Amino acid sequence: MGGLPKKAQQLETVRGKKSAVLALDSGALLFKDEKLPPDQREQLTATAEGIVAAYNKMSFTAVGVARQDLAAGLPFLLAVQKNSSFPWLSANLLSRTARKPWFKPHTLITAGGMRIAIIGLTDQGSDSLFTEKDNAIIAPWEEILPKEIAQLRDRAEMVILLSSFPAAINRKIAEAHPEIHLILQGGNTPGNIPPERINNTLITQVEAQGKSVGILEVHWNAQSKRWEEPGSENLLEDKKNAMDRLGWQINRYRRQGDPEQTFKDQPEVLEAYNDLLARQKLLEEEIVRLTAEQKARDASHQRLSSYSSHFEPMRKELPDNPAVRAIVDATTSEVNRIGKAAVKARISETTVQQQKGPLGNYVGSTACTNCHAPQFAKWRGTQHATAYDTLEAKGQQFNVQCLPCHITGPAAQTGQEMLALAHDLRQVGCESCHGPARAHTIQPTGAKAGQPTMDTCLRCHTGEHDDRFNFAEALSRLRCGSD
Amino acid sequence: MNKLTTFLLLCFLGLLSMTAPVSRASGKSTDNPKQQAGTPHDLTFFFSNDVRGETEPCG
Repeated sequence: MGGLPKKAQQLETVRGKKSAVLALDSGALLFKDEKLPPDQREQLTATAEGIVAAYNKMSFTAVGVARQDLAAGLPFLLAVQKNSSFPWLSANLLSRTARKPWFKPHTLITAGGMRIAIIGLTDQGSDSLFTEKDNAIIAPWEEILPKEIAQLRDRAEMVILLSSFPAAINRKIAEAHPEIHLILQGGNTPGNIPPERINNTLITQVEAQGKSVGILEVHWNAQSKRWEEPGSENLLEDKKNAMDRLGWQINRYRRQGDPEQTFKDQPEVLEAYNDLLARQKLLEEEIVRLTAEQKARDASHQRLSSYSSHFEPMRKELPDNPAVRAIVDATTSEVNRIGKAAVKARISETTVQQQKGPLGNYVGSTACTNCHAPQFAKWRGTQHATAYDTLEAKGQQFNVQCLPCHITGPAAQTGQEMLALAHDLRQVGCESCHGPARAHTIQPTGAKAGQPTMDTCLRCHTGEHDDRFNFAEALSRLRCGSD
Repeated sequence: MNKLTTFLLLCFLGLLSMTAPVSRASGKSTDNPKQQAGTPHDLTFFFSNDVRGETEPCG
């Protein structure tokens, strides 16, 4: 949640410049997966509560409910909703028996001098997220949206959908419901997706992980409620400019007199000249038509709506919002406290498990130094050797969301194992790249240590954490040589 | 004296109305007071997508 203070500051800057700003999120705000590992639940729900506090501080207008937001269970999200100053929206997350929505299906707000309806839709996914006791289902959009739109059509001058459905379904929604003017879609699609118009609906998405924020500025005509054709505001101007260029080209032929006479012995030149004249005639007709259309629109007040959009990356050098920074710091501190308490409560139990499980095959980097002193010395100079220390410096050494990439051990360590890790397995040690070495320390020639592949590094150096990672470059920098 | 009091009171009320803050809390009005009926409406959407966690999940 480290990016939230920067996002808050960006939002404040936008609000300082513009008078009617709506802050919206399509969901998957609280958790990254649809299920929580049981031994991480306490830390992850504390993080989720911190995120909600930050969104409250940012005065978000509305947030959609995505499947990931239900990872801690429907009762948890319903409790979170009570502490949220913004509405959580889902028109299709219903009680199974009464078929009534568990969350607000939509919200109606007044902004920029008009009424705006914001509807939420939750992706159905392939399997149920709910227990029998939850009494909940996610209904198909085809069943829900027509009723919602019928209800809102006359009450709002603009209809927005926050959807966590995948892009292909959002396109179908746009094709079926031109009354929806804007779909902000969530999801894991890489990169930013600029607005695409399907019928009378714009669909756009900002890249996942909060790596950017999207800013869409709209000049909305509440009478026509229609988007202009892409670039149509400039179409007439473009045609007039093209006409000027054509006129200039034609005049070049005429400088030496009547082209029909001047070029009568050069048929290819004469043909090019006549081609320009034909294009000029067509363009003239088009300009007359476009001018007439514009006048008709002006006369009937049917001017179309326009928009411009851009995406702002969350650069590290952007300033933090102090109030949201304080919320994030308090939350990460609380998450660390929870992990520290878990260590005290479970350490003896976990130590027994370590001996039995895959973690028992790891010995720690100090054991390597007996035979591989130069390699150990080289490792000590790398960032891998202080990976755990950086967490400690930030007070995050008990945060199980952070630990996997700052310690040594098998990829599938449980939260309990990570929290109770032996001192020598802290940091990203020799065995993170070369694999568990207990057998090698017992029988050095019989059980050789492995060599790292790109997959070894990609356990942590994913786009999520390190989008500039280059395996060849990293290997040449970190290679510790033979022996 | 009464005229002066009335004048000062009107000035005070005028100042108050010019400096009164406009709420933009969630779900509340974000009206542009300059907006005229029948004219185009200017809106700005600030939207985010935090799926898979924030850029710096570990603070």
